[in-house]
Amino acid sequence: MVLEATIEVRRGGMTVAATFATGDRETLAILGPNGAGKTTIVETIAGLVPTADARILLDDGPIHDLPPERRPIGIAFQDGVLFPHLSVLENVAFPVRARGARTRAARTHGLELLDRLAPGIDPGAKPGTLSGGERQRVALARALAGTPRVLILDEPLSAVDVSARADMRALLRRTLRDFDGPRLLVTHDPIEAMTLADRLVILEDGRVSQTGTPQDIREAPRTRYAADLVGMNLFAGRLTPLEAGAGELQTADGVVTVPWPEGIPVGPVDDVLATLRPADVALHTARPEGSARNVLQGVVEEVAVVGDRARVRLASSPRLVAEITSGSAARMAIGAGTMVWASFKAVEIHLMVERGPTDTL
Amino acid sequence: MRARLPVAIVALASIGAAFVLLPVVALFVRAPWSRLGEALSGVGASTALRLSIEVSLAATAISVLVGVPLAWVLARGEFPGRNLLRAVVVLPILLPPVVGGVGLLVALGRSGLVGRWLHDVFGIQLTFTTAGAVLATTFVSMPLVVLATEAGLRGLDRRYERAAAAMGGSPWYVFRRVTLPMVAPQLAAGAVLTWARALGEFGATITFAGNLAGRTQTMPLAVYEARQVDPGGAIVLSLILVVISVAVLVTLGGRLTGLR
Repeated sequence: MVLEATIEVRRGGMTVAATFATGDRETLAILGPNGAGKTTIVETIAGLVPTADARILLDDGPIHDLPPERRPIGIAFQDGVLFPHLSVLENVAFPVRARGARTRAARTHGLELLDRLAPGIDPGAKPGTLSGGERQRVALARALAGTPRVLILDEPLSAVDVSARADMRALLRRTLRDFDGPRLLVTHDPIEAMTLADRLVILEDGRVSQTGTPQDIREAPRTRYAADLVGMNLFAGRLTPLEAGAGELQTADGVVTVPWPEGIPVGPVDDVLATLRPADVALHTARPEGSARNVLQGVVEEVAVVGDRARVRLASSPRLVAEITSGSAARMAIGAGTMVWASFKAVEIHLMVERGPTDTL
Repeated sequence: MRARLPVAIVALASIGAAFVLLPVVALFVRAPWSRLGEALSGVGASTALRLSIEVSLAATAISVLVGVPLAWVLARGEFPGRNLLRAVVVLPILLPPVVGGVGLLVALGRSGLVGRWLHDVFGIQLTFTTAGAVLATTFVSMPLVVLATEAGLRGLDRRYERAAAAMGGSPWYVFRRVTLPMVAPQLAAGAVLTWARALGEFGATITFAGNLAGRTQTMPLAVYEARQVDPGGAIVLSLILVVISVAVLVTLGGRLTGLR
């Protein structure tokens, strides 16, 4: 199933004009800074913006003429937007009952979903008593309850505490993967977008500035925003302890030394993600002296100048993108084919453990 | 440790409290306690009380039934003249009730603008009937529930209703299961105020519906009439109203005033 959308909305002095499409069983992230028009896009797809000029096709069938209640879309709203006067179960059963199902059937379905997505949460509790992470789980269950054909997650991690994020991210990943239909992830968080989505649409000032896979955008960001936020080095793999406070991350194409993640017991950890800002990678023409833990050598594949910055793509192991001023790129005479040294400190690397710590290691 | 209040504020507050309390105390002091039963039957208290309760509850029910949709239109509608409509709806609060009664008379009286037609075509006469008393009472008390509900609707975060619509709720379903329950506290407070106002209604009722025992003579009207022939009876009737009001206040507790 494929979702195609062409949207033009004028709202509060800003025009949001975007065209995008998801592939079959594909997660598309709409990534942009606050105020870029992401929420307007979600609301337009949901049919909540009467003034929108939108053409939205679901498998070639138009849904833009349908009133919101008849669009087959499940949305987990930003901050949950759970009904405060209804219990957790009544919230989850809401989309089922709204579509005319009997109370008993809706409750059974709701309990099943809660059991799967929000175990341990009292179905009779009021949303006001839940934590941010728990509310988000209930919102996710509610989004799926109406058996929608399209799933939209709007900033699913924004209200979740840092301590609960690893578990929540794993749950989101599973839920998105298992959902049989187009999935949209709306977020301002590049890590969330890069780790959960198959493809990204970058939205700036109401316009799509770039579309592509995380890797496409990482390697060739077209705007300052994309370069700053998405154009990050991403390492994924198995983490093993190296020495006190440090570990080695074995990726598919190399090894980097990283700080040991806080709160994770010392021992091998799978599915670890690490990011490194290109600006934190220093380039040298000779092997550098100094305290940086990671020193790699590689051939320059490409130098792309964006304004006064040069992004240097390096065929090192692992592969790297470095960002230096265009002035120093010129001074070092860096160009495609040049052999250079790259260095970066372990502390510049930000780690995310995808699975929560398990006791049974 | 208790906060120390300025003496001037305490003094003025005491005067205010005494001012409200004094007439109530006086009613208790001057009530003809020795001949209570006699006074009660003499002024037809039970008839007036029953009528008062019926009329005030009916007026409250009608006010909620049409007042809540009216509040919804005022809070959510976008049309020219909305502010004018709100001013018109609020008008009965500002008008002397007797003016409302005169207005109703020329509108719905037997020879009134619409009343003549009601009478000639349907044979309906509203003046001097209990229905007329309900109508006059509704006219005066409905604005309270409209205003309270409208304030509630304006304060409601629209994201809830939008989410409900996006989750398959038809407009009516969303109104019933999300909007209405979420403004229920304000609606209830408004309904209680409407009812309290209805129970005390005098001017519009006596002007439009007259003062007929058993049909339009509610408690305030009975008090007014008794005062001329039997001052003791008037005090007894007044006391009954005081007791009912206090009982409602106590039952609803802080909910009426929005305090816990």
